[in-house]
Amino acid sequence: MSNSNKKWFSLNLNSSTKQTSASCGCGNTAGDCHSKEEPELSEQEFLAAAVDASIGEETHKDGFEQVFDVKMDRRSAFKKLTASLLIGAGAVSTSCSTLAGDDSKEKAQIDWEEQFKGNYKLMSDDEKKATVNRLVRSYQLRTGKTISMSSQNAHKDVLYGYAFNISKCQGYMDCVTACVEENNQDRNSQMQYIRIHEMKDGKGFNFNEADDNYYHEVPAEGHFYMGTQCFHCDNPPCIEVCPVQATWREDDGLVVVDYDWCVGCRYCMAACPYDGRRFNWSKPEVPENEVNKNQHYLGNRMRKKGVVEKCTFCVQRSRAGKNPACVEACPTGARIFGNLLDPNSTIRWVLENKKVFRLKEDLGTEPKFWYFMD
Amino acid sequence: MRRFKVFTSLVKDSFDIITRGSKKYHLWMGLLTFIMLVGMYCYSIQLDQGLSVTGMTDRVSWGLYISNFTFLVGVAAAAVMLVMPTYVLKDIDFKQAVLIGEGLAVAALIMCLAFVVADMGGPSVLWHMIPGIGVFNFPNSMLTWDVIVLNGYLFLNISIPFYILFRHYQGKESKKSVYIPGALLSVFWAVGIHLVTAFLYQGLQARPFWNNALLGPRFLASAFAAGPALIILVLAIIRTYTEFKIKDKTLKKIAMVVTVAAQINLIMLISELFKEFYAPTHHSESAYYLFFGLDGKTALLPWIWTAISLNVLATVLLTFHKLRNNFRVLFFSCFILFVAIWIEKGFGLIVPGFIPGPYGKIAEYTPTGIEIGVTLGIWAMGAFIFTMLAKTAIGIETGTLRYKK
Amino acid sequence: MSKHRSLYIVASYCFFMMILNSSCKHKEGEYHNVTDKIEMESKNYHGVDLSSELFLEDIEMIEITEGEHTFLIPERKGKIKGYACTECHSKPLPKMKGNEFKKAHWDLKIVHANKETMNCITCHNSQNMDELTSITGKSINLNNSYKLCSQCHTKQFEDWKGGAHGKRIGGWAPPRASMTCVNCHNPHQPAFDKKWPARFNTQKIKERK
Repeated sequence: MSNSNKKWFSLNLNSSTKQTSASCGCGNTAGDCHSKEEPELSEQEFLAAAVDASIGEETHKDGFEQVFDVKMDRRSAFKKLTASLLIGAGAVSTSCSTLAGDDSKEKAQIDWEEQFKGNYKLMSDDEKKATVNRLVRSYQLRTGKTISMSSQNAHKDVLYGYAFNISKCQGYMDCVTACVEENNQDRNSQMQYIRIHEMKDGKGFNFNEADDNYYHEVPAEGHFYMGTQCFHCDNPPCIEVCPVQATWREDDGLVVVDYDWCVGCRYCMAACPYDGRRFNWSKPEVPENEVNKNQHYLGNRMRKKGVVEKCTFCVQRSRAGKNPACVEACPTGARIFGNLLDPNSTIRWVLENKKVFRLKEDLGTEPKFWYFMD
Repeated sequence: MRRFKVFTSLVKDSFDIITRGSKKYHLWMGLLTFIMLVGMYCYSIQLDQGLSVTGMTDRVSWGLYISNFTFLVGVAAAAVMLVMPTYVLKDIDFKQAVLIGEGLAVAALIMCLAFVVADMGGPSVLWHMIPGIGVFNFPNSMLTWDVIVLNGYLFLNISIPFYILFRHYQGKESKKSVYIPGALLSVFWAVGIHLVTAFLYQGLQARPFWNNALLGPRFLASAFAAGPALIILVLAIIRTYTEFKIKDKTLKKIAMVVTVAAQINLIMLISELFKEFYAPTHHSESAYYLFFGLDGKTALLPWIWTAISLNVLATVLLTFHKLRNNFRVLFFSCFILFVAIWIEKGFGLIVPGFIPGPYGKIAEYTPTGIEIGVTLGIWAMGAFIFTMLAKTAIGIETGTLRYKK
Repeated sequence: MSKHRSLYIVASYCFFMMILNSSCKHKEGEYHNVTDKIEMESKNYHGVDLSSELFLEDIEMIEITEGEHTFLIPERKGKIKGYACTECHSKPLPKMKGNEFKKAHWDLKIVHANKETMNCITCHNSQNMDELTSITGKSINLNNSYKLCSQCHTKQFEDWKGGAHGKRIGGWAPPRASMTCVNCHNPHQPAFDKKWPARFNTQKIKERK
């Protein structure tokens, strides 16, 4: 579940089963426990079996093979062409042929264009739209499902800022769950952009002794909680060091990564003082039914292995006027997001009226993520 | 046209000389080939499954590959320690060793490039770095500076010796006006490559273990100790197994270079230890982890203490004239110094820079078998390339390889 | 001679000023820190073309103005199943107690402050149960129940008005819509219980070891 389809916020008073998706009640935390049923139509079953018989492994790449590390040469294209022709014959009776001979040619064409496109930052709006359309189409060809991908640019007069209320955070980690679901992060390595640190009262703000991997009832006696993620610095050290400019700061302040341009050198990860970045050490996999289909090119679209990713302040949501998933999910209202340039925004009020601070100020990175207390 | 003919004949002749040799030679090359094949197999696994087959994690995102890369840049830079006395100071004693040194630099640089490619998450898209068709983030990113200086140094170290050997192959003298400027340039360039590589780490304000002013000079000192140490060992092997004559004086002079560099390296180490441990701050946590362990995590302790003791032992042995001039002691000291500096620059520098993480998390790093396999494969490739280059160069220099019209 | 000297002085002065002026970050879009940037760039703020109205379409909203803040809050009366209270509470409260009426609200415990401070009629107007009452006896509309809470919880009220307390509905773009106190806190038992976190990261166990 994600709060995007729940318009009315319902705080669970005295109930501990609000989240049902990532951790189902059976306590099995690693992967799903097969308690969900997915009834399938017999037509699709037949088609799936036929497809499986001829180009077996391709179908297991459901949901995540969008950018391609397998170049298709003519030989394999013809092989698949023959295979898909066979399927086509069998699929005629089911009257739902998602595969035809043209499709694999189209796939190869899209593959080719995607492999040799340029840096997203340098593209014109038309080129951006074109690459988005190619990615949507190739996903459709591969899985038969439709996603919507946006290439929305930064809005004028917008500079995103974020504030975190340490007094309010109780360590529920609803934000982490929402973030993982919203951004299609790799489930195998349990990638999380957000880290919640549990610190002891009286020890001060001591990260060394903080625990960010707790699992017990929260809030625990004598502890307080706070979260970190990419802070979208205004003077980010990470964008300076990228050798190919695959990461940059957009005009609305978001620090983004073009996943197709990143070469995977991980210099940016060494340069980030806030542990904001994550790397896809293996191919990221998301179960098909959990894929978030509202995507943005610079945000939560499916990544490939060997590229860096990070929190994007949910660019697919924030550029549509919505709050990021973590802000939306937090039950206590500890997270505040808004436009720093709007003098009437809540984030400005917080900066002007509460005692705010940022982490590692002396490094000169100018993060746009402030902390405050009640 | 004539030059092209000479060139093709050179290639043919060198191919001849490389594929012929004593039994020991063939065994050596066979062993290297085998290790290279193992390395290639491991790399194919890595390409297939991604870098998750290595021991690197989000906390320690650079490991064995980058450690070796850093160390080998230093070894490559050290070739200049022979170039400078030969061409600039006109010290005749170094002349024989220069070509070997430059060949070593070429092999080391190719190894560096191989390690970088092995470490990349997306090696198939490295064309993104080519200016013109990709985006080259120069001058902001130190990595781009590194790409320029390393490739430039590789070019210099291929072209100048190639020119000299080409002329000698034809029985002609090489023209000073051609190679002296190049040699001079490579002296400064060598200092440049290792400083730039040091600046890669030095410029990151996020990693206080690296973000100090002494990193660049320390790199230079350790490079000029380890590189010539390796050259001494290689020259000793060449002396024994080929007819290439290398005077004792040459070896002794290079040993002098190694000694001074090792002493300076020790002084810098002491300076670093003082800074970290006299008034420890939060930024000294990495040094604490490296030398004493933190929170019970002591994985690097045996490595660093071995490195320091070997380093000190080697420096002491080399300081005394009597001991340094005894070749057995010299070779032993050079070997342990090489190993010590390899550990120091690798596990003693790259890995502790990431531990503890930005929020104090200690995630220890252990290289996996695949990583070690690829590393050994690349080292074998470097040794293979160097053997080929050395055999050809020695052949030309001793006069056995000549252009026959 | 003196002509040359004054020329030198003028030239060096100009040079000095040039260096001074060019060394500071006066380039377009470059600032010393974020606060400077915010100050400079919000001077030309003309509003954004995004709006949260779309996300608020299916919630009934009321606009309130408290102090210098004007924003939307969800309408409350329509959401309470038992409203209007006077359907049952036809008589004043003291007269309701007794055995001739059905038992209701019998399981309602007040875990809010203490017996000296709180009982039912601290907040509820016993004469007219459709409304709430302030400390001074002024009636408060059930839709504006925050006025009641703000009497004691002044700090939270200030924070809530500004946006630092409570949750925002819709998106970040204007118009601003926020939850009221009772949208999150049960007025009879406002504190929240402990619960288990929403997820557990087993990968990090490796790092822990």
